[in-house]
Order: sequence, then structure tokens, then C-alpha cells
Amino acid sequence: MARKALLITPELCIGCRSCQVACKSWNQLPAEKTKNRGTHENPPDLSGSTYNKIHFIETTDAFGNLKWLFVSQRCRHCGDPACVQVCPVHALQQDKETGIVFYDKSICIGCRACSYACPFNIPRYDENGKISKCHMCIDRVKAGLEPACAKACPTGAIRFGDRDELIAQAKKEGFKYIYGEKERGGLGVIYALNEPPKVYQLVENPKVSEDVLALGELLRGLVKKGIPVDASIVRKFLGSKETLVRV
Amino acid sequence: MINLEILIIYKIFKLAFCSEFFKFIKRDYKLAKYYKNTFKNGGEKMKLTRRDFLKLSISSLVLSSFSLDLSSVKAYAKELRIKNAKEITTVCPYCSVGCSIIVYAKGGKVVATEGDPDSPINEGSLCPKGSSLYQLVNNPYRVLKPLYRAPYSDTWKEVSWDWALDRIAKLVKETRDKYFIHKDEKGRVVNRIEAIAHVGSAALDNEECYILQKLMRALGIVYIEHQARI
Repeated sequence: MARKALLITPELCIGCRSCQVACKSWNQLPAEKTKNRGTHENPPDLSGSTYNKIHFIETTDAFGNLKWLFVSQRCRHCGDPACVQVCPVHALQQDKETGIVFYDKSICIGCRACSYACPFNIPRYDENGKISKCHMCIDRVKAGLEPACAKACPTGAIRFGDRDELIAQAKKEGFKYIYGEKERGGLGVIYALNEPPKVYQLVENPKVSEDVLALGELLRGLVKKGIPVDASIVRKFLGSKETLVRV
Repeated sequence: MINLEILIIYKIFKLAFCSEFFKFIKRDYKLAKYYKNTFKNGGEKMKLTRRDFLKLSISSLVLSSFSLDLSSVKAYAKELRIKNAKEITTVCPYCSVGCSIIVYAKGGKVVATEGDPDSPINEGSLCPKGSSLYQLVNNPYRVLKPLYRAPYSDTWKEVSWDWALDRIAKLVKETRDKYFIHKDEKGRVVNRIEAIAHVGSAALDNEECYILQKLMRALGIVYIEHQARI
């Protein structure tokens, strides 16, 4: 099985959010109570029960015309995932065959080190404090099915397949920017864009601080010694999140 | 192997004289202090000494500077939820496009729903309403018994199917007997009832439409409407 990926084409997306509903349906996640914030974007953020969502961006083009952009927000399944490297108990894992970053909630100790490590601000925690994020429906992929979001998408804005083939296809279709081809060891979620990634509010040059990786080793040592590791120690040790991640 | 050792020594030297090293020493101290404060009274839990911290952080620094991937790579092995489930195709109950949906059932319970890739209409994809079909069945708010709100009442109460169907039949009979038009003003036989109307649905299939049409025409109803026209 070659490395799998999702190709996201925001230009094809109509913002119907079928992917969000299909994700909740397949992963059996509960609904969230939200309120009207003056935008169609709902729920407001990723959470323990929302693994993917469409980010609505209102902007103007060079001629001052209104543009409404829809970008899928989810775990990028990095080729070089910082969360996996920092996890002290190996609850987060990268699948050998498909390159999917998945997790085991029963192992997770809820130390939140992955949240500090992720340059895309993705990991969220459920009501028990355990990691929850997009796992690219690894159970389906392993059984030869496509992820629920890609299957449900009515316009083909989310496509699933072998990573190399998808990149070749996006290039053939003449997209100017392929976001995720090189970033973080090659992302598992690739964005085909005609405008710079900045317009779509995607993180340019995502970087992971060396400190985070060192912290992973340190935490692993602590766990090995039987010393309890929790969120407070990570927070205390690293200081505020912002100063660390965006170094 | 020797090359690697030389490289490690070189790295350690390089790191020892850069600011990173001192940063880590500082961190060790911070962490040790934190633990000392946390487990001041317990005593027993405080197993980590300052020496351990130093050892740990130096080893971690060296390893991270090599960017060695220490995370164990594991193959995913968990069974698919819909494995061995019975596949039943159905038509989406919402709009009139009529997308085909596969319902996966296990032991008489719906375990998952998704678009039917064999359907020429939706080719496996679905809109958000169609995607949400799973929770139409598995929902704590699902109404399982007929609810009845009596005239001038403001509350709903649960009633049995028998009672509800009997009441509907009784009211239909009463209304029909009262307002049935046998002949119009010109004396032509019309046999119709204008006091009852029927509203159909876009999601009815051919067979359902046939049966409903038969029943409504037999009753003499002429106001046969469709949800999509309202």
C-alpha cells in the first residue's frame, strides 16, 4: 500500500459541509451546541467531537469583488509528524504503510504535548482529556474503502488516493500552488490552489521547535521512570504555547 | 559504527558550547524545582534526582539533534465496524433527487449509512442531510410512538397506534359522510369530497404513490397535493 493522501481543492468546494456530517456519522461523534456568530461557519472550531470542518473565509480579490473561500481544516498527516515524536507513551502513531497519523485513546495520558508540538494547531481533547483528531478513517482505508469525508463530497473537492498520483493529477490540472508537497516531510493532506496559501489562511513554512522534540525524549524518560506526566508539567516546562510553536 | 561514534562526539562538543546547552540546564533546574514543590509532602514520589534530569536532557538533546525517529512505527490493526454487516440499499427520504444510500445493519440495528457508489444519481456522494441519515435512526430524540394533542390542549401525550389509527379512520368517515358531494349544481354525478386534502412527499417511491393515489381517489378526494409545490 503506497502512501495515501487527501487532495483538497478549495475552488471546487461549495461549503455544503457534507464532509463534516459524514465524519461525525462514521466516527459516531455527538453534535455540539453552537450559537449564531454571524457566519455560516459552524461549529466555530475543531474539538473533541469535530475532527474536520470547513473554514469560511470572506475576502476580496484584486478588483475589490467579494470572494468566499472554503478550506477544509483537519489533521495534515505530516510525513514527519512532530506529535508522534513528542508523544511520551506512543499513543500517537504513524502507520507504516499509508503514512496516516492515528492514535489509541486507551494509551493516551492526556499530557497535551502533541498540542504544543503541532505547527497546525490541530490536536484537540475529548471530555475525558484524551487526544482526538482526524485519523483519515484509517479503519476504512485499511479495509480498502475511502475516508468518509472523501466518499461523501459531492463536488470532488476532497479526493482520496495514492499521494504521488494525486500530486501528479493536481499538477496536470494546472494548479499553481500545491500546498503540502514539501512541507513537514510532505503532508498527507494536499491543497491544490491557484492563489498563494496565505490567502487560504494556511500556515506558511510550518516549523517545529527543536525544544519540543527534546521534550518528547524527556517525557519518555519520565514515563519510563514511572513518574506521572500531565498537562501541567508540559505547560510549566515550556511556558506559553505561542512563544514555543511559532519559533 | 566508528563513524557514528565520532559523529556523536562531535555533536556533543558542538552542543556543549552553544547556548542550547545552557538553555537545557536551565530547564532541568526549572523542572526539578517544580517537582520538588509538587511532591514536597509525599516524598516517596520524588524519585527523580538532578543527575537523572541532566542525563535525560543531554541524551534527549543529542538524539533530537540527530533527528532520529524514535517513535515506534506500528501497523494499524482494528476491525472495520461494518465488516460482515448486511447491506441494504434505500432511497434518501429528504429531497426529490432520490439519492441511493447503503444502510449497514448488524443484528437488526443500523450501524452505518453511506452513499451508494452504484447509483447513477449520486455515485456514492451525499449532501449533508443525506450524510446525516445515521442519526435519523440512532437518535435519543427519535419519536417512536404516535403523539396526540387534543383540541384546545397545549400538551402532547403518547397514544397507542391502534387508538391513533382508529381516530383517524373515524374522523375521515365522519367528514366524508358530512361533506360528500354526489351531484354538482348542474346535476352531473361527481362523487367527490372537497373537505379533505392530501399532501404527498417528494420522497415517496412509485409503489407508495400508486397505493396512496388509489386510496385518495377511492375516497373521492380531489385536492391531492405534493410537498414540493407548496
